[in-house]
Amino acid sequence: MAFQTSLEMTANGVAKINLAGKLDAGTANQFKEIIEEAAARDARRIVLMAQELEFMASAGLRVLVFTKQKLGSPVDLYVIGAQEQVVETMEMTGLNHSVIMMDYYDADKVEVL
Amino acid sequence: MSVLEKKSFPADLDSLEGLRDYVLAAAAKTKLSKKKVYKLELAVEEIATNVILYGCQEHNIEVDVVIEAELTEQSLVITLIDQGVPFNPKDKELPNEEDLAKSLDERPIGGLGIFLARTGVDRFNYERQDEVNVNIFEVFLKDND
Repeated sequence: MAFQTSLEMTANGVAKINLAGKLDAGTANQFKEIIEEAAARDARRIVLMAQELEFMASAGLRVLVFTKQKLGSPVDLYVIGAQEQVVETMEMTGLNHSVIMMDYYDADKVEVL
Repeated sequence: MSVLEKKSFPADLDSLEGLRDYVLAAAAKTKLSKKKVYKLELAVEEIATNVILYGCQEHNIEVDVVIEAELTEQSLVITLIDQGVPFNPKDKELPNEEDLAKSLDERPIGGLGIFLARTGVDRFNYERQDEVNVNIFEVFLKDND
């Protein structure tokens, strides 16, 4: 499936970003643009909805690094429902230590700032 | 034994999907686990991205990247051949544990692709043959976790 991404901002500044399909070097720019849009809309938290994300290459990991560096430490980065192989890639590269991984979207935890 | 006819793709990021599909089609002829197939797909993707961006496009070299698959009794071997500038991924220093433990704020933006490629398959090799780069990815059929 081709890569698809979209942004939804909640009233309290949580940027919910849907990721689906295969995120590679050719599609990572779409992801980066969505992050930039979230930053421009003063996102206070970034939540990646990754249930439908089938594949993530290092180009996608680079956007995660970019996200944290662009938005700064106070903006937490959540990854929700990532598939096993995507989680493993994040673990191998140590990125799992810098994001909050959750199996399911829990509004009580994610949306309370 | 060749499992699929070799295929050529233009050295362009739009070719990544075709290259990955080729790997998946070759892996479908084996009983490799989903995990091993994913790592192989990722490894080929990472090296192909490097070849396309830094070996070809950066130097305005318009060539094809050729991919082929071979199945032996022991392993599936994917070979990626390009006429871009010489680049041996094995010469590149991999991030160490300390680098990988760094928080996202402190990390350099790049350097993970070749790490994923080299650690994602059972054996990775590079050869420079007659003006072409040959990247070889081998996955053993046994120890299939």
